[in-house]
Amino acid sequence: MSAAAGKSFTKSVPFWAGLAFGTFGAVMGLALTGAINAATTMILMIVPAGLFFQTMRAASSKSACAVAGEAQRRYLKRVAIFSSAYLVVLALQVSLLADADPSLAVRAGISVLPGLAVLGIFWAIGRLIVEEQDEFIRMLVVRQNLVATALALGFATLWGFLEAGEVVPHLEAYWFAVAFFFGQFVGAVSNKLTFGSWGAL
Amino acid sequence: MGGAVKNRLKVLRAERSWSQQDLADRLEVSRQSVNAIETGRYDPSLPLAFRIADVFEMAIEEIFQRD
Repeated sequence: MSAAAGKSFTKSVPFWAGLAFGTFGAVMGLALTGAINAATTMILMIVPAGLFFQTMRAASSKSACAVAGEAQRRYLKRVAIFSSAYLVVLALQVSLLADADPSLAVRAGISVLPGLAVLGIFWAIGRLIVEEQDEFIRMLVVRQNLVATALALGFATLWGFLEAGEVVPHLEAYWFAVAFFFGQFVGAVSNKLTFGSWGAL
Repeated sequence: MGGAVKNRLKVLRAERSWSQQDLADRLEVSRQSVNAIETGRYDPSLPLAFRIADVFEMAIEEIFQRD
């Protein structure tokens, strides 16, 4: 790996991470101040999600110094498929539910689809842990997801009690999945600081 | 995290003029794995330690010692 390529690689991860954080903060800011509604928020969340995905790609991109394994390539492909499916069914849900007053069965059928697409991403994470042959990388992925799980559960627990005490407003439960994905980024940073490697994501 | 075991991986690799990537290719692991083991940040499993010993054609205890 040349010095120039190395510099470009190490610079690209903080660059994309900074953009992801910045847009995440901007969308959260708009949502919490009531400037945009829930549906718009979820649609705008595509931007930081895409940038986060690009950050992870940069961290695990194939180069002479960082060989992305076959399991990681399969993982990225699966996440791309389920993320695309999420966008499609979310758009479907917003458009269909806004225009008409469908029955409970139709509403349930349409509303469960975005959640199932996100479950697909969780499944892809599980498959990555099973399929990763490099024990060090597998350990990093497990560690990263433990950090993410702790962050999401911690957020859910604290928010739940604060909400019960009428300190904070009601939050739809899918935000805890957002907290989990944010936790994955925190876990990757923790891996980098502790083990000198981002891990697979 | 590693630390309980020290190893001679870096010296043995240098003796053979292998880069970290060369060793990683021989072990069929990532370069990050070799780097983490070399720097003592990660202790390999017993199966991987045996593979390392096989690559260097040495006994495990000639490569890994108690810290």
